[in-house]
Amino acid sequence: MDALDGVTILDFSSHLAGPYCTKLLADLGARVIKVERPGGDPARSLPPFLGDEPGPDRSATFQYLNTNKESVVLDLKHPRSREVVRSLVQLADLVVTASPPRVEETLGIDYPTLSSYKDLPVVAITNFGHDGPYRDYSLDDLVVYAMGAEMYSHGLASREPLKLGGTAATLQCGAMAAVAALGALTAYEVHGLAQLVDVPCFNVQVNNIDRRSSSILAYRFSGRVQDRPASHISGLAGGIYPVADGYVEIAALPGTYWRRFVEMIGDDSLKDPALDSPLAALQPGAREAVDAIVVPWMLERTRAQVWEAAREHHVMCGPLYTGLDLWNDANFRERGLWTTVQHPELGELPMLGRPYIFEQTPWRIRSAAPRLGEHTRTVLREAGLEPAAIESLAAEGVIA
Amino acid sequence: MTAPLPLQGIRICDFTAVWAGQTATMYLADLGAECIKVENPFIWNPMTRAASPRMNAMMAQLMPPWIAGHPPEPGPRPWNNSPAFIQVLRNKKSFTVDSRRPEGLAIVKQLIAISDILAENLAIGTLEKLGLDDDAIRAIRPDIIILHMPAFGRTGPYVEGRGYGAHIDSVAGSTILRGYRDTAPVDNVSIFAGDYWGGMHGAVAVMAALRHRRRTGEGQVIEMAQVESSAHMFPQAALDAAWNGREHRTIGNRSIEGHVPSGVFPTAGTDRWIAIACRDDAEWQALVAFMGNPPWAADPDLATAAGRLARQDMLEERLAEWTVTRDRDELFHALQHAGVTAGPVLTAKEAAEDPHLAATGAWKRLPATEDYPEVDWLRPAYRFAKSDVDLRTPPCLFGEHNDYVYRDVLGLSDDEIAKLAAAGHIATTFDPEVIATA
Repeated sequence: MDALDGVTILDFSSHLAGPYCTKLLADLGARVIKVERPGGDPARSLPPFLGDEPGPDRSATFQYLNTNKESVVLDLKHPRSREVVRSLVQLADLVVTASPPRVEETLGIDYPTLSSYKDLPVVAITNFGHDGPYRDYSLDDLVVYAMGAEMYSHGLASREPLKLGGTAATLQCGAMAAVAALGALTAYEVHGLAQLVDVPCFNVQVNNIDRRSSSILAYRFSGRVQDRPASHISGLAGGIYPVADGYVEIAALPGTYWRRFVEMIGDDSLKDPALDSPLAALQPGAREAVDAIVVPWMLERTRAQVWEAAREHHVMCGPLYTGLDLWNDANFRERGLWTTVQHPELGELPMLGRPYIFEQTPWRIRSAAPRLGEHTRTVLREAGLEPAAIESLAAEGVIA
Repeated sequence: MTAPLPLQGIRICDFTAVWAGQTATMYLADLGAECIKVENPFIWNPMTRAASPRMNAMMAQLMPPWIAGHPPEPGPRPWNNSPAFIQVLRNKKSFTVDSRRPEGLAIVKQLIAISDILAENLAIGTLEKLGLDDDAIRAIRPDIIILHMPAFGRTGPYVEGRGYGAHIDSVAGSTILRGYRDTAPVDNVSIFAGDYWGGMHGAVAVMAALRHRRRTGEGQVIEMAQVESSAHMFPQAALDAAWNGREHRTIGNRSIEGHVPSGVFPTAGTDRWIAIACRDDAEWQALVAFMGNPPWAADPDLATAAGRLARQDMLEERLAEWTVTRDRDELFHALQHAGVTAGPVLTAKEAAEDPHLAATGAWKRLPATEDYPEVDWLRPAYRFAKSDVDLRTPPCLFGEHNDYVYRDVLGLSDDEIAKLAAAGHIATTFDPEVIATA
């Protein structure tokens, strides 16, 4: 039995953060009814596309984020949508929204309205929360990372600050919303407590354990502000090295890690105990002398060879992988990093597999991302709408 | 507040270390689980309570603030005031025991017997060496949920791999996707996105398993290899590889979603930057109008994202020329009011002083302890309207809850406690030898 079997989530979110939140829950067995606007979730238009050919079902971003979901097309801007939402909410144990507060109210999916239909938990993902001076400001992946997270110290001192790759910051907001959603669901199922949970993406990044929260506390404790460093080099060894076919990242901090690193490199001159100290790196020319031994060692080896040697010596190490490397890595594939999804029109497609392995309850893909409005009629019937009412709504363009 | 906490009544036996693991249990503690951190006065767990147990003012100054921005005088217990680690200990309890000795292991087993969850992300084999493999744990507590968060997995050829966040991020595909477009990845400075990600996914997994246990009475083992969860931070790059054979590399501050322009631009003053992203053509038109329709921007070729994409270098140069004389914060508010997505690159100080965060209750002031001054601390990122999901109790100091755990939780007698104390199990500081050599 799936861990979240029997949970129904009514999902008004679109784009990245909300859909990632509900994907996490859907892949563990929750039923997710995805309410899409006419024309569909804008993520259907996000690259990359299968064969580089756009199309509502061809976006990898959309396919990834919406596995195991059902699609109901509903125009929330139409006044008659309210009666449909009221019926849909009756099916749900939890609602997820991801609209700016003003839009929530306009569309009638704000907490007071939803909870007047049914007393149930609502997770509202917002940019800046439901109050405060920035309430109605907008964000994207770049701007949320700039304002909320540790962008200021990411990059080099002589250059502009840098974001993370892809849309990692936005997806982090979705993951945090999933934690909140399961907390809210637990409170509902165990304690009968229904409540609004506000998940502002700005706060999610301010709480980013990836140095932002610590840099803020460091400022409060010490008055020091984390800057971008002058170069990536710190310490006597470690950081990113070029190797024969790419790059590897290594940590060789003084102590155990340094000694393991020295064993791996195998050059006796590095065994000088004076080098095994935080002070060693402060000597002029010390890093260069170590690099003169280490860099040639690296360049003679491939990433796979360096990582194998590192594992043998328990050196802190990781090769710099691209998506293609992850795809081609036989060991990750064997473990289940990848799976496939059967799409009724596109056929069998590779898909990122489980992020965790449960012993008793599956992580599984029961169905590919839904086609636009694929489940509108069946779900509305289930919600108690009569066929005539459904046809009338369709005729008026309220549903599709 | 009287409303129950979501995870009220759930107890965690917490062996987690560093960031990812300790963050996972923090989310569960925030939600009301009683999280009891198992600490050992005779083992210094690297990067778990501080960069060094010998941190002093001079050493701290040599290291970056995020890891070493202790109070100016870190004092005799730097493990109680590291900015990198102390705050992931909020809402938790700490007790000490040397679990490598039989009487210490017996104590750990007593705790396991009354725990719902055991969480760990130690080097592979650490718990097994103590005699606490999964079977042994379940022999003590059959319906327990065990969360393992190994770096590269508990099976397969990478099982002996060792790594912190930076190394996991490298393999997960994060490191190669961030950096400047015109420099090699060797220039990328460290950042550890996967620690945050891994912590959240660990908490999700545990809560799902708790639901299964509520319904069936059945516990289970969860293996969350941090590298595998972290690969999900970059689904577009992974799937473009799998579907189209394409390899993504860094695009700096540009957007993979087609937001053009998307960049970080200098403003008046030193090292003050604004991020500007036009999410669609309407935002671009709003930006053009706001700039006063300069001829370069009014070019109709730029009206579409595709047109702007083709001339992105020029756009970024012109925008930088326009922003560089302007006040960052005035520009931020003005652009947002004009309908353009933009925001300042906030320093840690500026985030600490941000008016929106202050107005919306992002902080909670905690009183000073012997180890740190009275300052404002972060509350959880989300707000539950009824449950008190909040910074309820201050970060646990090392051994702070020894009395509570030994006496109230485990029910030991004064005699038993005195014996364990005499044997060094019960402490509020690390063993001097450990401090000297860690």
